Amino acid sequence: MSTRFLNKVSLLLAVVGLLLLPVSCAWNEEEVDREFSNTPQGNFMALWTIMDEHYCFFDLKKEVLGVDWNEVKKRYSESVSDRMSSKALFEVLCNMIGELRDGHVNLVSSYDFGRNWSWKTDYPANYSQDLRNSYLGKDYVIGGNGYYYTIFDDNIGYLAVESFESIIASGRLGMMFNNMSLCNGLIIDIRDNGGGNVMASEFLASHFTEKKVTVSYSCYKNGPGHNDFSKLYRNELSPAKEDLRWTKPVVVLVNRGCFSTANDFAYTMKALDNVTLMGDTTGGGGGLPMSSELPNGWVVRFSSAPTYDAEMNHVEFGVEPDIRLDDMTDEEISRGVDSYIESARNYINGKLINP
Amino acid sequence: MKPMTDSSRCSDLLLTVLVTVLAALFPLRAYSQQDVWSLPLYKETVTVNAVTYGSAFARDTYLSQSRYEGWAVGFEDDRWKGYNPDKLFNVGRTHSSILFSPMKNRLGGGSTLQLAGTVYHGWLWHAVENDRCDLLVGPACMMNLGVLYDRQNSNNPVNVEGFVAAGVCVDNTFRFRLFYYPMALQASFYMPLAGVGFAPDYDLPYWMVFRYNDYGKFIHFITPFNNVALSQQVALVVPVRGDRFRIGYTLDFNKNRLGGHSTRLLNGMFSIGYAMRFETKKWNR
Repeated sequence: MSTRFLNKVSLLLAVVGLLLLPVSCAWNEEEVDREFSNTPQGNFMALWTIMDEHYCFFDLKKEVLGVDWNEVKKRYSESVSDRMSSKALFEVLCNMIGELRDGHVNLVSSYDFGRNWSWKTDYPANYSQDLRNSYLGKDYVIGGNGYYYTIFDDNIGYLAVESFESIIASGRLGMMFNNMSLCNGLIIDIRDNGGGNVMASEFLASHFTEKKVTVSYSCYKNGPGHNDFSKLYRNELSPAKEDLRWTKPVVVLVNRGCFSTANDFAYTMKALDNVTLMGDTTGGGGGLPMSSELPNGWVVRFSSAPTYDAEMNHVEFGVEPDIRLDDMTDEEISRGVDSYIESARNYINGKLINP
Repeated sequence: MKPMTDSSRCSDLLLTVLVTVLAALFPLRAYSQQDVWSLPLYKETVTVNAVTYGSAFARDTYLSQSRYEGWAVGFEDDRWKGYNPDKLFNVGRTHSSILFSPMKNRLGGGSTLQLAGTVYHGWLWHAVENDRCDLLVGPACMMNLGVLYDRQNSNNPVNVEGFVAAGVCVDNTFRFRLFYYPMALQASFYMPLAGVGFAPDYDLPYWMVFRYNDYGKFIHFITPFNNVALSQQVALVVPVRGDRFRIGYTLDFNKNRLGGHSTRLLNGMFSIGYAMRFETKKWNR
């Protein structure tokens, strides 16, 4: 081959290199993946499809609530037109995902947070913050962000956990156990705790067991089909290392306001030997949420990784207490009596008499 | 003949000063074509360090269905190293880059940050070598790691993906003169052909990967059928005085469908860099 020919080949390659750049860009613009338009119809279809391919409880919701997601699409698509306002669209979309009655399913716009909190609002509250404050008194200890504790006159410790947003510091928890070392039992009140960080609830629970315990199972969606799930992963709770652990009786007070991580805490504690769950069924929220986005920028959150308790029961609709308590009455509340706390105290005191 | 006025005398003076300054800055120098750009000899290394600025595009369905775009800034290091001339692959070419990009969706809402890094290395064989051009081809190994952080997502805000792959590298330099001014046009690309890619399995949350130590669901075998990646570069080497500057455009393109979700990244970066030539000497005590 002559040098002149090779030079031409080389120049050609350089020019081809230049030409490849726009070709690659054009190739990229070929929409291989589906992309929805930023119109009311496009946003509606985007939301429906994201949920259809990623939400993890369709079969359960169909069985319990009778929700048929294809029927939901047909019904709500009639309410969507390209001339509707953004607020009207938001309302329609919120109503559509509200059919699933899942606290982890939300639509977030710049002006509202779409939700269906019927898992809590349709039931008696069985909780009064004023009453809780009066039981805590004035000299309670703040053990961390959302963790408050005191010791009642009958020598029973009381820990109110308002939220699991933050993990209680190991030293502060040790200090609490030291303060309560002479107590006969401990009441952990997680009523109206809306959840937070899974690690926070696990860390607290790990101080109430002496052995490794299987507390739940989890899996995740591994495909777009409603039944595309991974294998089950076993969740084991290990005893807290190098920390004090509580082995005396524990009562965990729950109500319908216990959601998500608080729900996790409820079934985790229920699996432990010295723990009794008292109160009402928890609010549920047994799916680890993920998020995605609509073409108009609204964020959609949905449950994507289901959790089952140690007996392989769904916890999406809540955890049943070991001892169900009667609903709190207005008369009791007006007298300043929290019947849930009183029942827990009686239970622990009774356990001392009849262990 | 017109009489010389004060203003014309002043203009002549300014012109003289300007020409003198320009001549000092850009002295006429006789370059041979090989002077402009030549590949390193044995134990020599030629490097180009460049700052980059351009645009980035990302769409990752693990995080969002939306596409994100924005400006990007980064740094690029290209180096050619001369190996033993007796060997078949006697030039090594390494391309390393790092890039940061804050991106927004089409409505200007949302916010996603991209941090990406690449290290590609090719062992090259001289396919064509003469006064005008150097064409090198050979196998390459490529490492790529990218992090996308979607600031709107609360529970799964981050996706980390990458690959380690074997592929091909082509590097071509064409020397020419523009108005008698010598320059070199470079075009190169790397393309992975087979390797291992890292991406979460569909909706697999990252905390489950770490919690259950199930990294198997994170690793995928990649080929051009499920992971198309191409790193192309076109650059012009311009000698200025005794120095070599390089103006270039690099396009990194990666489209994959791993773990049931698709990721598409496109970063186009303009670069301006400075070339240097070193000789590796053995340090004797």
